[in-house]
Amino acid sequence: MISVLLNTLLAAGLYATMAYGLAIIYGVMRIINLAHAGVMMLGAYAAYALFSRFGLDPFVGLVVVAPLFFVFGVLMYAAVGRRIAGAGATPSIESLLVLFGVWLVLQNFAYVVWTGDTQSILTGYTMKSIKVAGVRLGVPSVLVFLASVGSLIFLNVLLKRTYLGKAIRAVTQNRDAALLSGVNAGRISAIAFGLGSAFAGIAGAMLATLMAFTPDFGRSFLLKAFCIIVLGGMESVTGVALGALVLAALENGLAAYTSVPTSLQDAVSFALLFIALVAFPQGLPSLFARFERRAAIR
Amino acid sequence: MKIAARLLWLAAAIFALTAPLFLERGPLNDLWNLAFAVILASAWNLLGGFAGQVSLGYSAFIGIGAYTTVLLSLKDWNPFVTLPLGALIAAIFSVIIGLPAFRLRGPYFTIATIGVAEAIRVTASTVEFTGGSSGLRMPADTFDFNANYFAMIGLAVVTVVIAAWVKRSAFGRALAAIRQDIEAAEAVGVNSTRFKLAAHALSAALVAIAGGLYAINFQYISPASVFDFRLSLSIVLMPIIGGVGTIAGPIFGALIVSTLQIKLLSIPALRDSFLFVYGGLLIVVMLFEPQGFVGLGRRIGRLVHA
Repeated sequence: MISVLLNTLLAAGLYATMAYGLAIIYGVMRIINLAHAGVMMLGAYAAYALFSRFGLDPFVGLVVVAPLFFVFGVLMYAAVGRRIAGAGATPSIESLLVLFGVWLVLQNFAYVVWTGDTQSILTGYTMKSIKVAGVRLGVPSVLVFLASVGSLIFLNVLLKRTYLGKAIRAVTQNRDAALLSGVNAGRISAIAFGLGSAFAGIAGAMLATLMAFTPDFGRSFLLKAFCIIVLGGMESVTGVALGALVLAALENGLAAYTSVPTSLQDAVSFALLFIALVAFPQGLPSLFARFERRAAIR
Repeated sequence: MKIAARLLWLAAAIFALTAPLFLERGPLNDLWNLAFAVILASAWNLLGGFAGQVSLGYSAFIGIGAYTTVLLSLKDWNPFVTLPLGALIAAIFSVIIGLPAFRLRGPYFTIATIGVAEAIRVTASTVEFTGGSSGLRMPADTFDFNANYFAMIGLAVVTVVIAAWVKRSAFGRALAAIRQDIEAAEAVGVNSTRFKLAAHALSAALVAIAGGLYAINFQYISPASVFDFRLSLSIVLMPIIGGVGTIAGPIFGALIVSTLQIKLLSIPALRDSFLFVYGGLLIVVMLFEPQGFVGLGRRIGRLVHA
């Protein structure tokens, strides 16, 4: 029981990091960033390159990866993002397809530079584990969790305490009103793209310490990230954390208490994505709000 | 102009149907591939182009058709008899998925279709009756290239004719209304869900038959070949490059993509660059000419006239 809970918590941290990048870009620009998967994949390869070339520990490497991918995201915004910024309340299918194209180009770039061979990062502690409350946890998973929590705290402080964060939240809530009160929406969009891409890079670099990867890597995590932000109601910060917990709990619970083979786990989360989209398009928070209203009426 | 275009289509169809009399196996294979691509692109266009519902999950229908054909052929059915059954199963499946999924608008629908197709791929490579990730082989002596060739070309012609008919019919006008403004369409009495389901089922059935023929021709299928995400991708790419929502667009797109594929695969240095080409084309077309090559042609036509 405790082991399932702990593993759920560890997985949720990573999942939330993965999903926040997607949620920020969606919130500010109303764009579904399919290139997120490609950026995560590049993050994994960036960590790999830093590790194999310069012997930089992948977790120390995050200090390089995060700003690098922030710049990459801003450039991506300048190249394509700016042309496809959604004006309406719902994202356009054109933006989805353009970013899909970007994903393919990134994938091909990785094939050319690193070939299609499976790569992995093996550090001194990859196989080590520590005991927490009587449960053996892999050292990389614990480090990933800590780094995730660290980056999420950073994001939360940024969003809550700074002018920039307030501007991001303002544009997310009402783009027109934010424009009217003097927020430079173009610049906020560029920064949101940078932040989203930085988080994707961080998530990818951390995933690389947990598992082997190829240029095709990222698709299943993209779908999981979608699943999380849909569960979380697309734009709320606590919602995303909640969605990440639900998905991680489902996966770990299935593995621990049922005989569903691990190879089918992904199918379960993809099916959950479908169910979540159809059943509660406003996310779990809206579901709770609905229950509360119903309870209040009684 | 109209008559000339029609004669051109007729000539192309007659050429493709009589080609085995005078062409070698190599070019015939290319034509088979082209016909396969035309079916996928034109069938996808029924829902994705006419009704504007972009699905990235069409490999599911190819896979359903292919697996139905192989599984039943292994039970001593005639492979060609299994094709309509595969079409029926795919159509039913498309309705089961469509009923909930069509409540979603625009990109949300697209994301949902990726989820469904990926879930099916993962399931097909895990469960036992599909042979898992190692796939299934057709029974021996079911291979007949000529029969398969004529069936594929015939199906391509039928698909294009159906698309042309749909575009002109009341059904097609309802789909166009849904694409342009779904609320307005509903307001004037178009039952959008029913029309979307019908277009989805029709295109799923056509794609599933093509999937069955694919299985018979290649004699071996696996989740990695028929449920591949890249297959879904190229299905979407062809009509978009050619010109979404038109009759000629998907055919042009199929021609461009399958030619590119053959050319790229034959140049060793470029063999690994098809994702780059696909992605680049997708970006360029969506940013600069969302109507694809047909739109580009029209634009040039207007310039010439002016």
